[in-house]
Amino acid sequence: MAGAKNMHTFEPPSDGESLQRKPSGFGIGWKRLLRSKTGTFGAVLVLLVTLTALLAPWIAGQDPAAIDPLNRLKPPVWLEGGSSAHWLGTDNLGRDMWSRIVYGSRVSLIVGLGAVLVSGLIGALLGLLSGFYGKWVDAVIMRVADSFMAIPTILFMLVVLAVVGPGLTTLIFVIGVTNWVSYTRVVRGEVLSIKERDFVKAARSVGAKNGRILVKHILPNIMSSFIVISGMNVATTIIMEASLSFLGLGIKPPAVSWGGMLSDGRQYIATSWWVATFPGLAITVTVLGVIFLGDWLRDVLDPHMKEKA
Amino acid sequence: MTKRKWTSAWLTLLVTALVLSGCGAGNSAGGNNTAESPAPASSNSAAGGSKVLTIANATDIESFDPHNNNNTVSESVLVNVFDYLLKNDSQQKKVPGLATSWEQVNDTTWRFHLREGVTFHNGDPFTAADVKFTIERIAKDSALKQNSYFKNITEVKVVDDLTADIITDGPDPLLLNRLSKMGAGILPSKYITDSGIEAFLKQPVGTGPYKFSKWTKDDRVELVKNESYFDGEPKWDEVVFRAIPEASTRVSELLAGGIDIASGIPSTDVARVEEAENKQIVKAPIQRVLQLILRQTEGSPTADPKVREAIDLAIDKQGIVDSIAGGAGIVTRTSVTPGNFGADPSLYKQSLYDQAKAKELLKEAGYAEGTPELTISVSSQYKEYAEVVAAMLEQTGFKINLDVLEPSAFSERYSSKSFKEIFMIGIGNSLFDASNNYTRYLAEEAKGETDYNNPEVEKLLQQALVNMDPTSREKEYQQVQQILANDRPAVYLFQMEGIYGTDARVKFQPRSDEMFYAEEITPVN
Amino acid sequence: MDLVKYILKSLLQVIPTLLIVSVIVFVLVRVTGDPVALMLPETATAEDRAVLTQALGLDQPLTTQYVKFLGSALQGDFGNSFRYGESALPLVLERLPASFELAAAAMLFAVLMAIPLGVASAVKRNTFTDLIISGVSVIGKAMPNFWMGIMLILLFSVILGVLPVSGRGGFSHLVLPAFTLGVGLAAQMTRLIRSSMLDILSQDYIRTARSKGIRELLVVGKHAFRNGMIPVVTIMSLQFTSLIGGTLITETVFAWPGLGQLLVVAVNTHDMAIVQAAVFVIAFIVVITNILTDVAYRLLDPRIKYN
Repeated sequence: MAGAKNMHTFEPPSDGESLQRKPSGFGIGWKRLLRSKTGTFGAVLVLLVTLTALLAPWIAGQDPAAIDPLNRLKPPVWLEGGSSAHWLGTDNLGRDMWSRIVYGSRVSLIVGLGAVLVSGLIGALLGLLSGFYGKWVDAVIMRVADSFMAIPTILFMLVVLAVVGPGLTTLIFVIGVTNWVSYTRVVRGEVLSIKERDFVKAARSVGAKNGRILVKHILPNIMSSFIVISGMNVATTIIMEASLSFLGLGIKPPAVSWGGMLSDGRQYIATSWWVATFPGLAITVTVLGVIFLGDWLRDVLDPHMKEKA
Repeated sequence: MTKRKWTSAWLTLLVTALVLSGCGAGNSAGGNNTAESPAPASSNSAAGGSKVLTIANATDIESFDPHNNNNTVSESVLVNVFDYLLKNDSQQKKVPGLATSWEQVNDTTWRFHLREGVTFHNGDPFTAADVKFTIERIAKDSALKQNSYFKNITEVKVVDDLTADIITDGPDPLLLNRLSKMGAGILPSKYITDSGIEAFLKQPVGTGPYKFSKWTKDDRVELVKNESYFDGEPKWDEVVFRAIPEASTRVSELLAGGIDIASGIPSTDVARVEEAENKQIVKAPIQRVLQLILRQTEGSPTADPKVREAIDLAIDKQGIVDSIAGGAGIVTRTSVTPGNFGADPSLYKQSLYDQAKAKELLKEAGYAEGTPELTISVSSQYKEYAEVVAAMLEQTGFKINLDVLEPSAFSERYSSKSFKEIFMIGIGNSLFDASNNYTRYLAEEAKGETDYNNPEVEKLLQQALVNMDPTSREKEYQQVQQILANDRPAVYLFQMEGIYGTDARVKFQPRSDEMFYAEEITPVN
Repeated sequence: MDLVKYILKSLLQVIPTLLIVSVIVFVLVRVTGDPVALMLPETATAEDRAVLTQALGLDQPLTTQYVKFLGSALQGDFGNSFRYGESALPLVLERLPASFELAAAAMLFAVLMAIPLGVASAVKRNTFTDLIISGVSVIGKAMPNFWMGIMLILLFSVILGVLPVSGRGGFSHLVLPAFTLGVGLAAQMTRLIRSSMLDILSQDYIRTARSKGIRELLVVGKHAFRNGMIPVVTIMSLQFTSLIGGTLITETVFAWPGLGQLLVVAVNTHDMAIVQAAVFVIAFIVVITNILTDVAYRLLDPRIKYN
């Protein structure tokens, strides 16, 4: 059942399945978070990255864009030739690695959250319409979703970025617009099942209008799946930003992003490993945190899974 | 029990793999010479006595149509399949190719005596008819990418089987340069007329030392020895050109022994290649000069000569060469480098750098700190240089917007002449003549791009274009260079150098035109 | 039979999907930019441009262009590639073997990794083994592809010298790129198998089987495993379709001549014919794979209704 319904979503179908069982609202307490080791770990990582992004100017200590060609590719402080002025070393243009990592967190988070918001809004809206109104609305939206799934995502992004030109906003929108399908499918499935529930039928029988039913009954009930998919998508998006940078379509200098750093640094992996490895680690750690936190959220929002934990 | 073993085996495998890949970075970072490797599992090279030369470029060729290519990498492959009437030797001296001698008949006519007994790879004899077919095709079909270099040729007359006259629409001091440059490869007229150009492109045929064997797009071009080459038996049994887009992969492939020559070695990898056993780095200055081209359109801040001079003085060119380019570059104040007709040696190996004076000039021009605001557009391949230049200009007080474009987007903006104040570009010169550097500063051409207009320069350039006397022609170009060095429609950064990694199996001396003539590369035994 | 009807119905749905794909592609390609500027040398005059624009039919209204485009697309004619001067469809099709080869190898690798790891981590849930496996698979998913590819080349080809660096050739050439791609897939699959196995292991019939004293290995191997694999089939089809044309970063790192490289260059040089042909071919493969998976799925699990 699960597989069939989620044919086209890329994230594990079991999510979709578990989502059909309704949580009764969600009071997430700290206690519950602390009970899960991986959840706590994920939350700590995400919190750390968020704080870094917010407090970047105070943590960084240096201008991440200040170029110093004569001091390029200096190793981290613990290696021979390193200096305490740049404790994580410098990159190919002599910029301070630590400051760049710190400032880079901003772009990764903004792109991650922004794109997820965009795709979440588009996807959820279309999913709602599709599931709620059914008939031709459903048919049209689902065919469009099929078509989007059939076009290679990266190609779509390449074309759009080639037209509009790279930039933070473009990046958010492009990634957002290409990722909405998974939301649509899951939300649609949710709506289809909720629609048949007694409380919706009851509301309808007392004369509630469509809008009211959507807002009062259906929307709150799809929130949990929305949050769960979003967790996954934030991770995917951060990696996607790195991939786009590899193709030369990431954030433009002098703005800093981990993906851009990683991509610029790949030429130096063999000779100056720190240039690519630190941003690579930053991405890995952040994504790790987001995924762990997302897993925990799923467990919490899904009573069935909780039973097992 | 068995199952546990089974799972843990997988687990170990995965963990080891990940851990090892981490260590890999650590090791090489330690500066150890880790590059030695045992004989590669599948080398293309000298196995079983057959001599194979493998060269890796960053890109694949565009096409097997020598007339419809506008890129150096493609031509560097095609020169092994097609011959020119005359060619440049490794010192860029004109030497006979398919023509054994030539003379000027009058102002607009050159006569070429063709080599006897040459055959195309399919057995067709090479005659004056092929010259007529080839040259008239490139001169008349404006859809071909090389057409603009040849369109002043009005006609080719077949005098007899082995003599052809090439006629231009006016005196052309550059005809020999045109005929020895990219796009002048001679095609088989009978084969193409009989089977059509599409068939030719699938199974190309030339007169060169190597025959087409196979082209796997975005992967490799394979050529085999042409036993009946007119200049004796070729040195290699097979020549393979591979396309390896990632620079680090190219270096790895060289170190692992999979290829003999790798082009475009990043400057930071030079030491690593040199330290490796049996690998060398060879460098040579190439025709490309990296430069900033400045718009002089009314209203643009760069229309003010003081601002242009400030830009020049603000940039530490030698510093850029020494750091980012890893020493592989020669600073210059002219784009006509030695080896090109018309070069002015007094401007070569020179550069200006004086940030204090640059600041002064900006003040004189009436700009406060943080102004003027300029946009520098650049193709992503030169991104590092552009970032450094932007930083230097900002130190001097400019406000710079860096506009890094994908190469295709860049070339689109380039041809539509829609850059803002400044664009950075590396410009080559396949004609080896100053005229090619200065076409863009003719008033007609400059319109919309730089809007540079200096009547004196215009007069000198127009004269030189049709001047058949080399001595006075050279003077004219040198004069132009002196004026341009002062007018600064462009600020020249440096002449670039080609950095190649080679295996000890081969001896290779790079050429300034970046061609790979397999016959000039010798096997070492 | 229901199944035949189902297949027919699915095939009918393919038509609107491909139509929408054609519109999206057409629009995307037209807005990408001016191919004329790229095709002509810098020295071309305005007149040259006009001639070429007309020759390419770019001066006609968009609707006319679309109808013409659709008409020829139906006949498999996407026009000639600007870059190669050859018909676009064969150029795309000749890349498919390389792409399929890489995708299949990566999938195989992923399945071989993911099944034992996923099962182990479900059976041993909340133990140290589970934590390690989960951690490693999350890292596998989180690690950017190209970084790992370059690392693998350095280790296995340059330092150890046991595998070729790049290019397409025999089996040995496949190992590194397939591993690079496969790790991410395996990570995703492992997590999926774990959660689907957990679901099943907690179900009543498994509990019953256990309470009857059937050996754990048998319970896991026979009852749980078979059912737990059903979603795996689904994710495999999804991963496979995303790999066709979606592997360009790995292809670039390993100089692998697949569809991805063709596509990137085509987009960058505005080679419209190639972009259109490639997207159609890929969309077709995706759509057909989906139908086949659905069918296979229904055959495996007869409980699914045909709706």
